[in-house]
Amino acid sequence: MKKRITSILALLVACMTLLTACTGNPTQNPSGDSTGDLKGTYEITVWVSEIDGMKELTEKQIDAFEAANPGIVINATVEGISEANSATQMLTSVEDGADLYCFAQDQLARLVIAGALNKLGDGAAATVKENNDAISVGAASVGGVLYCYPLTSDNGYYMYYDKSVIKESSLDSLEAIIADCEAAGRNFSYELANNAWYNAGFFFATGCVSDWTTDAEGNFTSVNDTFNSDAGLIALKGMQKVLKSKAHVESSNVADFSAAIPSAVVISGPWASKDAQAALGENYAATDLPSFEVDGKSYHIGSFSGNKLMGVKPSTDVKKTAVLNQLALYLTNGDCQLERFNQFGWGPSNLKAQANDAVKNDPALVALAKQSEFAKPQPQIHGSWWDICKLPAVAAKDATTDDELKAALAKYKTDIDALFEMTEDQKQAWSVIGTVNGTNWDTDFAMEKESDNVYVSKDVFAMTAGMEFKVRQGASWDVNFGGDGQPGGANYIVEADGNYKVKLTINADGTAVLELVAQ
Amino acid sequence: MSKNVKTSHGLGLSAKNKIGNIIAHVVIVTMCFIWVLPFVGILLESFRMETTMQVGYLIPKDFGIGNYIALFEKTNFAKWYTNTLIVGIFVSIIQTFTVLCVSYTLSRMRFKGRRFLMNMMLVLGMFPGFITVIVLYNILSDLNMTGVNAVPGLILLYTASSGMGYYVAKGFFDTISKSLDEAARIDGASRAQVMFTIILPLAKPIVIYTILTAFMAPWGDFMTAAYIAHNTSEGMNVAVGIQNMIGSQMSLNAHYTHFCAAGVLVAIPITILFFALQKYYVEGVTGGAVKG
Repeated sequence: MKKRITSILALLVACMTLLTACTGNPTQNPSGDSTGDLKGTYEITVWVSEIDGMKELTEKQIDAFEAANPGIVINATVEGISEANSATQMLTSVEDGADLYCFAQDQLARLVIAGALNKLGDGAAATVKENNDAISVGAASVGGVLYCYPLTSDNGYYMYYDKSVIKESSLDSLEAIIADCEAAGRNFSYELANNAWYNAGFFFATGCVSDWTTDAEGNFTSVNDTFNSDAGLIALKGMQKVLKSKAHVESSNVADFSAAIPSAVVISGPWASKDAQAALGENYAATDLPSFEVDGKSYHIGSFSGNKLMGVKPSTDVKKTAVLNQLALYLTNGDCQLERFNQFGWGPSNLKAQANDAVKNDPALVALAKQSEFAKPQPQIHGSWWDICKLPAVAAKDATTDDELKAALAKYKTDIDALFEMTEDQKQAWSVIGTVNGTNWDTDFAMEKESDNVYVSKDVFAMTAGMEFKVRQGASWDVNFGGDGQPGGANYIVEADGNYKVKLTINADGTAVLELVAQ
Repeated sequence: MSKNVKTSHGLGLSAKNKIGNIIAHVVIVTMCFIWVLPFVGILLESFRMETTMQVGYLIPKDFGIGNYIALFEKTNFAKWYTNTLIVGIFVSIIQTFTVLCVSYTLSRMRFKGRRFLMNMMLVLGMFPGFITVIVLYNILSDLNMTGVNAVPGLILLYTASSGMGYYVAKGFFDTISKSLDEAARIDGASRAQVMFTIILPLAKPIVIYTILTAFMAPWGDFMTAAYIAHNTSEGMNVAVGIQNMIGSQMSLNAHYTHFCAAGVLVAIPITILFFALQKYYVEGVTGGAVKG
């Protein structure tokens, strides 16, 4: 028997060693020298962007990876899939999802919670941190831990405009740009009421923040949000200037440059640069966002800066996982990112690729870089925020008084707080907390309502003399009772050993009686 | 006197009629115009050659069939179209057979629990199908009927509960006299013979109606098909495929006119079917509605 246990233990230890050796640090030697033990044929699926040519480029890059790692044969099925679909389908079924997949960073928290991503091994993490800009490393992390590979650093927005309409002198002023558009009978495309990603720039301009914290599992634990403030009010007033202009169009598509009433300005990002160039021809120009003026003070419109990421699906096959991680590292390296820049204009996150002359001189990326001074790295944000933050902009479109704007911001704040709020039942619920059942004032044990103002603990506690506890409401210390029955009074101290339920009776005068019912 | 009255009365009425008719026609023509405009728009866009982006005018500056060619050369459209066609044909055959059998049974036979069964199917049919889509996805995934194998999966999915859509056909069968069945039975025909040789030829409108509706559901379905295809181009139907083609702003600008061309191609079979079977279709719907 002993022998068998020993051998099982030995087997377990061996497995653990293998696991740590392979998954924990799959890319000890990303150059490919360690491929000896990874030799083999692998069937994999890869989801990349659906834009024309991306599938073919990725296939070419995977071939190059094979050539650099003799012995590893990869039979890859590459599918061109929009980033939104990519994350959605991973969440539908991680098991059936692609082995490698690309997505926008706002999906990261959801994917981590769903178990569609694993922590990167130390070696891979070190390589990623060394070669990519700090913002993209932050974007690929949850709770300070890297979960995936940065693919681009270009998910931001700025202004495309028609040089023949917008005067050089107007470029720094939102009011002047609106006036130029109106005077020329042209439109101003700015997606504000439909898209929080764009309208948040006005709030950032006035110094508002919305910082969310997650735990290591990707669950949101708290938020520091200052949109509902005087600064937020100024932001909405700035936004109103655009929303109330007759030139305003609620869109971010550069196709507006060739619409029935063509736009002279479209706020959009690097993905649109080639189309904007095609639509505007020699009048094509791009620059950072302008400033708006409220009460004589000027505020430069901010923006989000974000990243596209590549993830590896967790798998029980350690060898395959190791190869996938090496491949992901390869596909996101400087050379591959440069190829994507050359073909699609995607801005690299890799530091070496960023230093490339063509990248540094690209007009769209130059505008993005100019805007980056006012851009806020897109943090992990609660999924509901994107809808909640549309509402103040929607309200600002019709609002005529400050009070209406303030009400919209107050509503926004209530909605945000509600994400962390307990239900009314949870707030009303009573619980026992103390040194019972081996805990140390850190766990609430639920109580059930027996009749009006009488509550009894669900569990039977094995108590010893000297043990202390209290009862509290809504898992907070605002309302609590101890042995003396006074609100916020002293702890209840158990006098004799035994198995008890805790019974609480609340009196009409606001005091309570706490008693132990022997079981 | 009376002649005068008659004349003036007649003139007045005809003038009134004329004005009424003119107004009615103007309204109808305007409505038709508004109704047809989007279709004309899509058709014109599909022949626009100067750009693949959305533009602000209707008449293309440069006509051509390049968008149709690009659709077949640059994208997997042929595969999506074939998938949809296969699913549509199989579903319409299987579903028509099932629905007609169930309807005939419920119309002609009396058995224990018949009323309960009918009510049960009615209630079950009230649940929106998409609430089960994730569960169905997982079941089909276990059967290896998703992704590349989405076509058999979709056929199974669309036909699985089709017998529950028996109401209209049953209503139609109820209008056909039972004495026909009885006469045939006395002459020695089996139940199946009665249904296939006597009743079905009389129920042509409802058969056609059932085929049409059975074909249309999978032809235009997006949501279920999107889940079952699970991002695999080979397993997509036409709606999912062309949506994925314009999945982001960049691809929308690169494929907008191709998307319109795809829209036109998708509309063709269903339009032909409708024109060819229009007469029966109306008869089928109203015939079944007379008696429940």
